[in-house]
Amino acid sequence: MKKLLALILCLALAAALFAGCSQNTDKPDDTKAPDDAGKTIKVGLICIGDENDLGYTYNFIRGKDGATKALEKKGINVEWMVKWNIPEGDACEDANLELAEAGCQIIFNNSFGFEPYMLKVAPKYPNVQFVACTNKASATDELSNTHNAFAKIYEGRFLAGFVAGMKLQQLIDEGTIKQEEAVIGYVGAFPYEEIKSGYTAYFLGARYACPSVTMKVQFVNDWSNATLESNAASALCDMGCKLISQHADNSTPATMAQSKGAYFTSYNNDMISVAPEACLVGTRIDWTVYFCEAIEAVLEGKEIPQDWCKGLADGAVVLTELNKDIIAPGTEEKLASLEESLKKGEVKVFDTSSFTVKGETLTQAFALDTDGDFVPDKEEAVFDGEFHESYFQSAPYFGIDIDGIELLN
Amino acid sequence: MDEKIKSPLIRLEKRSKSALHPAAAWGIRLGSILFALLLGCVAILLSGNNPIKAYATMINGAVGNKVYLQQTVKKAVPLLGCALAIAPCFKMRFWNIGAEGQITAGALAATFVARLLTGKLPSLPLLLLMALAAMLLGGVWGLIPGFFKARWNTNETLFTLMMNYIIIGVVAWLQAGPWEAQQGRIAQFDVSAQLPKVAVVHCGWIIVLALVLFIHVYMRYTKHGYEISVIGDSMRTAQYAGMNVGRIMMRTMFLSGAVSGLVGFIVCAGANHTLAKEIAGGVGFTSITVAWLSQLNAFAMVAISMMLGILTKGADTLQTMMNIPVAISDIITGLLLFCMLGSEFFINYHLILRRRGGKGGRAK
Repeated sequence: MKKLLALILCLALAAALFAGCSQNTDKPDDTKAPDDAGKTIKVGLICIGDENDLGYTYNFIRGKDGATKALEKKGINVEWMVKWNIPEGDACEDANLELAEAGCQIIFNNSFGFEPYMLKVAPKYPNVQFVACTNKASATDELSNTHNAFAKIYEGRFLAGFVAGMKLQQLIDEGTIKQEEAVIGYVGAFPYEEIKSGYTAYFLGARYACPSVTMKVQFVNDWSNATLESNAASALCDMGCKLISQHADNSTPATMAQSKGAYFTSYNNDMISVAPEACLVGTRIDWTVYFCEAIEAVLEGKEIPQDWCKGLADGAVVLTELNKDIIAPGTEEKLASLEESLKKGEVKVFDTSSFTVKGETLTQAFALDTDGDFVPDKEEAVFDGEFHESYFQSAPYFGIDIDGIELLN
Repeated sequence: MDEKIKSPLIRLEKRSKSALHPAAAWGIRLGSILFALLLGCVAILLSGNNPIKAYATMINGAVGNKVYLQQTVKKAVPLLGCALAIAPCFKMRFWNIGAEGQITAGALAATFVARLLTGKLPSLPLLLLMALAAMLLGGVWGLIPGFFKARWNTNETLFTLMMNYIIIGVVAWLQAGPWEAQQGRIAQFDVSAQLPKVAVVHCGWIIVLALVLFIHVYMRYTKHGYEISVIGDSMRTAQYAGMNVGRIMMRTMFLSGAVSGLVGFIVCAGANHTLAKEIAGGVGFTSITVAWLSQLNAFAMVAISMMLGILTKGADTLQTMMNIPVAISDIITGLLLFCMLGSEFFINYHLILRRRGGKGGRAK
């Protein structure tokens, strides 16, 4: 026993020595890199999931990789420090602290619920820029180093809806379904503005191509629950929905739609590989655009916009590839011209002449809720014949229930 | 002895209690840690990294500067508090795995008080009331399975586990319903309802250190503590000695739940400054390991919870600094815990190797 003990102690001593030595020898390596690269910047990214979700966080990772490549061409070397699977709580504060402490000059928080924790760290590091994607407190927090960012995803939804509408119209024209059977089922996470804005834009896009379309929305009250999402899609198909779309994190609605013989359009990711016979197209935010802009601004010492919001016209919102085997004939051409019109502003997503609320045209709606009672009370959003979404702030605020969409829960 | 009788290659023999010198026992424990670190090297090597550099990064990331140390302490505080909470139950051989729910219950009660009385009371009485409410609800949440066990001898393991899901469900409902501030989250507490910081970390660390003393004295030097250990050794003996076993069980479960509830207060008023269904974050389960590794010794728990704090914080850093997947860090943590718990086996038993001649005898 004593011999064993001695052996273990010797090993421990050796290990400790090695640890000490390696620390000394490794340090020069770490500091050498920035010198020969010219411009190097440390950037932090805090994610609620990891790339395995093939949805929300995966989409951020694509943005990260895209930005790295794009900036490399400009001679900028981005050194990413990424925190995966961070819950929306105290751990997020720690993650922000750690990244700021490690020397990141800008830190992106990818989930809505991260913001309050990010705001606890931001005042302590005035020289570090903090970004809360999809949230909105930077307008009111009185800190100059906090920012928000979102993209005009409703434009992408509108186009994806258009592709879906084309398909439904094709089914009607071929006599496969009757006009009144053109029903879309939508699996939504929560009844929040971001989701309402999304499915309304989607519905309006579908109706642009198929005037008789209606929609049923089922909320699952969870951002990511594969089983609930699948069940909701299944129930919607059983109620006669011919096409399913979603705003939640999993790909299970796509597979369910396929198994029930319905069509599908995706969000965040191209889901053609999971449901090749159902998935027509998808839409996603391309975070590359914002990441590049923000990182470059930090390097050049320029101000980052307090609230950033861009859309189709700048490539911040994109459609994923069309599934050419199953889309309605002629979709590609019509889609391209619609996209052009949207970019030019000839077609508006929330055109008040295209929808009604309880039978009436919408003439008045506030954008922002300033007193926290869930009822918007500031900034008139309806003018020039359009509800101006993402105009007063990047986070969506269209929370109105329009005619033609039935909420199941 | 007959030479032809085959003895197995390795035999186990239980050590008598006095056979092993305490120093040797600690040697075995230390050895097990080193053995685990060596195994961990394999995992790191497989991920294509330098293990020595990785370990250095871990240590540096956990205690290397004030900010890191502060985060490490913040991770260790609830672990320590909760290990202290479940120690009396485990001593009694009452398997309370409901600390997760008792923490959540405490946090819920504290949040309720904070929402009700913020602005109406100054900070100190408000915090005291929050802590009191947390202990009360946490205690009741522990008392319920205790009562059923005492009265109808229900299975406490399943009962306490199920109680976790109930309270977490209640919080989920509150945060998406009546208490919602924005998108399914409860608003951050006002500053008056937040625990003040002492030496950069919220003062929860002082509370749990005080708890260490309290639990130590309670378990070692009070009648209650004695009753608990008698029940743990033999329930029949306790009954024969005229102890009211059911009552002691309920009392101990209330105490355990109350301490867990206090931990809930610390995590919600000190760290999160709000309530969410993930507030306990697995602490209620991890602390079981802390309690076992410490042999239910309150002072040892300080060291063990700190060690786990260093491991988790170090693993975080490993991920950011060296891009080592967090799963590898989890493997290292798992190896360490496994080896440390396993070392108790070698402290209680010793191996007897077969001698070349075939005769069994003691090795070394």
